[in-house]
Amino acid sequence: MLRVRDLHARVEQQEILKGVDLEVKAGEVHAVMGPNGSGKSTLAQVLAGREDYDVTAGSLELFGEDLAEMAPEERAHAGLFLAFQYPVEIPGVGNSYFLKAALNAIRKARGENELDAMDFLQLLRERAELVAVDEALLRRPVNEGFSGGEKKRNEILQMAVLEPRLAVLDETDSGLDIDALKTVAAGVNALRSEDRAFVVITHYQRLLNYIVPDHVHVLLDGRIVRSGGSELALELEEKGYAGLTNGSSGG
Amino acid sequence: MSVSRGPSTAPYLDLYARRGGEAEVLRTRRQEAIERFEAAGFPTVRDEEWRQTNLGSLLRAAPGAASARTIQDRELAPFLYADCPRMVFVNGRYAPEASSPPRQVEAVALAELGAGGAAEAVVEHLGASVNGSASCSADAGVHPFAALNTGLFEDGAAIVIPDGAIVEQPLQVLWLSSPAAGAQAARGKAPAAVEVSFPRLLVIAGENSQASVIETFAAADPGAGGYFVCPAAEFVCGAGSVLHHTRLQADATDAFHLGFQHAQLERSASFDSSSLAFGGGLVRNDTMGLLDGEGSHCTLDGLYVVAGSQFVDNHMRVEHRQPHTTSHQLYKGVLDDRARSVFNGRIYVHQAAQKTDAKQTNRNLLLSKSALANSNPQLEIFADDVRCTHGSTIGRLDEDALFYLRARGIGREQAHGMLVYAFARELVEKASFEPLRQDLEERLLASLNGGGDG
Ligand SMILES: Nc1ncnc2c1ncn2[C@@H]1O[C@H](COP(=O)(O)OP(=O)(O)O)[C@@H](O)[C@H]1O
Ligand SMILES: [Mg+2]
Repeated sequence: MLRVRDLHARVEQQEILKGVDLEVKAGEVHAVMGPNGSGKSTLAQVLAGREDYDVTAGSLELFGEDLAEMAPEERAHAGLFLAFQYPVEIPGVGNSYFLKAALNAIRKARGENELDAMDFLQLLRERAELVAVDEALLRRPVNEGFSGGEKKRNEILQMAVLEPRLAVLDETDSGLDIDALKTVAAGVNALRSEDRAFVVITHYQRLLNYIVPDHVHVLLDGRIVRSGGSELALELEEKGYAGLTNGSSGG
Repeated sequence: MSVSRGPSTAPYLDLYARRGGEAEVLRTRRQEAIERFEAAGFPTVRDEEWRQTNLGSLLRAAPGAASARTIQDRELAPFLYADCPRMVFVNGRYAPEASSPPRQVEAVALAELGAGGAAEAVVEHLGASVNGSASCSADAGVHPFAALNTGLFEDGAAIVIPDGAIVEQPLQVLWLSSPAAGAQAARGKAPAAVEVSFPRLLVIAGENSQASVIETFAAADPGAGGYFVCPAAEFVCGAGSVLHHTRLQADATDAFHLGFQHAQLERSASFDSSSLAFGGGLVRNDTMGLLDGEGSHCTLDGLYVVAGSQFVDNHMRVEHRQPHTTSHQLYKGVLDDRARSVFNGRIYVHQAAQKTDAKQTNRNLLLSKSALANSNPQLEIFADDVRCTHGSTIGRLDEDALFYLRARGIGREQAHGMLVYAFARELVEKASFEPLRQDLEERLLASLNGGGDG
């Protein structure tokens, strides 16, 4: 599904990713953990196609296609979704209007018929309930004035509506209280299926109690220094990131 | 004998000498105005108020009065709102066959102005903003194009709303330009000759009346070439009146549009105007609000959406002359390609105007590297107990927002359009008359999709 090989990326002349390898297959959930500044969000943004991040070496393949030439919207059409660590506020663009435009752009690109207002509203209501998003948020401009938790839920709502094949969640758990964390996890778990995959970027092991990963990777200073099963997350919780630079157990 | 200062006024004075007949009651008024124009002359970039507006290519072209033309219904249809009473003017001349004046108010064509009835009020107020009786403070001087219009208008609309009348349906005044074929210059070249028309509007809102007026400026065929439209509008807002005004400017992109608007407000009157400019090559609007009555309020809003080599200049002047007066200005601009804009907002608070509340905002969104926006607020405050705020911004599209939308599958163009629309929408959605709001929305969207010429 996703194959990242020896990925090097720069942001403003500074090399942030220094050779990342990652392979995700359909049906799997991967967790990427690592301290602040280790390059987790950079990896996520590069996957989504952020243009001011330069890929200087390595390759990215999604659903068997080379990502290098694909625009961000084309990646979304192919079934990639990134839940942003810092969702962007867009004054003047209504949340539900935005989601409808996104869903219909994706459907159109796939040759499917666009949903009309009624059908969309029904879908939106249903998904909003699933991830416990207040209907009032749907009528407000995208993320504008949302609390931290509301923004994160809104990301999960978008994921639930767009139904991606590969979802990358960038620290969707940070800043959430335990109830919100559970709803987010429930949203992800509801979508889990044999033909979908998730890359869950997180800072804390906490989320992984609710979304149990098949694989855990540790990203340190732009490299994956260790990979293992879900038990690796617990080990990290105990020992911290220090002293993890050796002893990769493959991935 | 006269010192040569600026471009020759002779060709325009010649138009005055050769003009057709006119309503007898207006003769003196016009004579005074043309004399004022002659004395003032055309402004040049050496005049402070015209520093950024270069009229060179307009004033080098030989002016000719726009010719009379009959217009087909299908040419009008794109600009009319169903069920709206209307007055249609083509090349500055009234087209009665295309018009359906309202019943509740007196709406007369100026060329047909007789004696009695509305005429008395019209004669009292027409040109008051130019001849000094209701003009801005002395230092504002005579507006040369308002004076020129007063001397030269072929025809115009006078709308008199009776005291206490509540007029539900907006009244539309359409100013259509249709230059004779062959008048156009080669693309990008200054024209050697230009057809000119002088639309004239006077709205007198009676005490405690309520009404809405929509002015539309447009080209019958935007590809038919350039022209010069030089409109002047005066709004006399009686005590307690509420007047809404929308000015939609969709002239051809090679047209010259130099407009003048003047609102004078009596006690507790309210004037709310929105000026939306999509067309014109060289556009200048001078808008004045005179808060002459205690407790009066004016809102002067605007939107300009320009691309290619369009230039649009809004010069605002709001004068608070009485206590407890309020004014709000919100102008937003979207500029693409090499388009340029000027916003010059002057707020003048007289010593007597205590408790003034004035607010002015100008926001610009630049969509290209070569677009340029200028914003100059000017506050002159001579009262001590006032609240005046102003702010201006010049920004670009939010790249983070653009990426966010694209990452959700929305294509670059559409994402672009959504963000620009989001920026401008409040000025479009402000229109409460639904057909107008829809029309503005469509024009805004159309100007975002492939407006400019690169
Ligand atoms: N837009 C940017 N400009 C400059 N430096 C950046 C930018 N984004 C990230 N960085 C730097 O890249 C490194 C990795 O950041 P990031 O990928 O956000 O880490 P993480 O998500 O693991 O906390 C940090 O040192 C950060 O300062
Ligand atoms: Mg991060």
